[in-house]
Amino acid sequence: MWLVIPTVAIGAITVLLRYIGRQMGTALTTPGYTEIQLYLYGGIFLFGFAYILKHQINVRVDFWFAHQPQRRKAWIDFVGHLISLVPFCLLAIWVSVPQVVTSWRLNEQSTDAGGLPRAPIKTLIVVGFILLLIQAVAELVRLIAVLKGRPDLVDLEEVEEPLRIE
Amino acid sequence: MSLELLAIIMFAVFLVIILSGYPVAFSFAGTAIVFFAIGVATGGVGIEITRALFTKWFGDSINNTTFLAIPFFVFMGAVFEKSGLAERLLSTIGMLMGPLRGGMAVAVVFVGTLLAAATGVVAATVIVMGLLALPVMVRYNYDHKLAAGVIVGSGTLAQLIPPSLVLIVLAQFIPVSVGELFAGALIPGVMLSLIFAVYALVLAFFKPEKAPAIPKSERTLTPRQLARETMKVVVPPLFLIFAVLGSIFFGLAAPSEAGAVGAVGAVGLALAYRHYSWKMIKDAARSTANITSLVLQILFASTFFALVFDQLGGQRLITDWLTSIPGDKWGFIIAANIIVFLLGINLEFLEISFIVMPLFVPAALALDIDLVWFSVMMAINLNMAFISPPVGFSLFYLQSVAPPEVKTSDIHKGALPFMALQGFGLILVMLFPPTVTYLVEFFGLR
Repeated sequence: MWLVIPTVAIGAITVLLRYIGRQMGTALTTPGYTEIQLYLYGGIFLFGFAYILKHQINVRVDFWFAHQPQRRKAWIDFVGHLISLVPFCLLAIWVSVPQVVTSWRLNEQSTDAGGLPRAPIKTLIVVGFILLLIQAVAELVRLIAVLKGRPDLVDLEEVEEPLRIE
Repeated sequence: MSLELLAIIMFAVFLVIILSGYPVAFSFAGTAIVFFAIGVATGGVGIEITRALFTKWFGDSINNTTFLAIPFFVFMGAVFEKSGLAERLLSTIGMLMGPLRGGMAVAVVFVGTLLAAATGVVAATVIVMGLLALPVMVRYNYDHKLAAGVIVGSGTLAQLIPPSLVLIVLAQFIPVSVGELFAGALIPGVMLSLIFAVYALVLAFFKPEKAPAIPKSERTLTPRQLARETMKVVVPPLFLIFAVLGSIFFGLAAPSEAGAVGAVGAVGLALAYRHYSWKMIKDAARSTANITSLVLQILFASTFFALVFDQLGGQRLITDWLTSIPGDKWGFIIAANIIVFLLGINLEFLEISFIVMPLFVPAALALDIDLVWFSVMMAINLNMAFISPPVGFSLFYLQSVAPPEVKTSDIHKGALPFMALQGFGLILVMLFPPTVTYLVEFFGLR
């Protein structure tokens, strides 16, 4: 089931980018236009959080990690996800929800004239972290399978090379 | 237990986690959450800092037109990389410079610089050049060490030559604009690439066997065809880059807007050269989304880390410590350079920017150091670290695509002179701050 998430994310990302592409030429007009870009870009990476976790393209300092056996890598990730990623998502959701609720209730608007309502994009922060949380749980399940010696149950179809970005 | 002690332990724990290979973003988040809990439990940290967290996430990360430039510039670079423009650039300029001794090397420096500017991504530049230029230079009997060195040297300039991703991210941590950083990095970047070219020519003059000219029989194009091809292939990308930079420097457009125009321009060029495909756009879009998510994920997590660290008094501790380095301003600058160089050998710029810059900047401000100048030095320094054997990242990129006859030791030895040249450039910039500040002031960006 959780495979749907990244697929949706890819879809959203591609659509969003295409949309930005169309916006780009004319983006110079009102604050509203700029804000559409900001919101789309926010959407890209907020959905992207779960996507890059799924595809294992998070940046690692891997000069030691790369040479470790599969099981040790799985242990590091398992313990890490359990004590840092999952609590972090929970904290983020816990922090964000009240503020998003307030934003909807006040129907908060952008500080620029001609801007857009703020509540939807703030909601996306919560959605992004919920997706990340679900993906994190999915990762935990996958890692348990690896640790139990059944990596065949969870073959990753599309593990990309760790991304080098500079 | 005092809070400062807790802060020091926090930083140490973070380093251990990050070195274990656990993803950087989650290492920030995990350390922060554990020490946040300890802090709240011992009463040193107020639970209300979490409210600031959301505000910062929204204000600094989403509602931030500086970072909006990232997807645009990455997209522009990805299109350049994946559309095959690089290939044509290289073959044309190679033909142009070929008759000259060492000409291929100069062509590589030139195209490398251009690609570095266009893509802003070291891995892309080095890999593309390694795939295209290295086999050619090997075929023409270039010294393998020189061939490899010139590729890693000029490809790594992508970190420095604007518009570069590194500079956009650095700008986030210092109170100067992206435009100022771009303007400041332009002269040092071009200067380094000239130094590389001169080095290649001088070497070719004294040791012709290391960098022979392309034999006459291989030069098939007439001068007129060559001129036309040059106009067609070299001028438009150059124009695009200068248009993007110029509109930022002259204050016509914000970096994000210029980036957007650049991205559309790059697609336009790909269309014009008929190197367009839907797959290329999709690939470019995907790597854009990946890179943006990576950067922002680390930012989200490190924001939390910084909040907790600051609450524990860690920031003040580090600032005090850095400002008390003997030798005042210069002591700090030299120490900062050494630290960044050492870190740069093993970490990527992202980690360095997020870990080190927030710690350095308050100290640099306290010592009244020009931050643009300081950041450009850091960027040059990272360049140097990137080609330092045996673990510099650029060397790995090149190894992964080098033809079998080019040995790893060739790449390592070849990188050394270029590392030295970068060091020379760094010292020049250090001794003559106007190399950085002149353009910033010229464009009235300050």
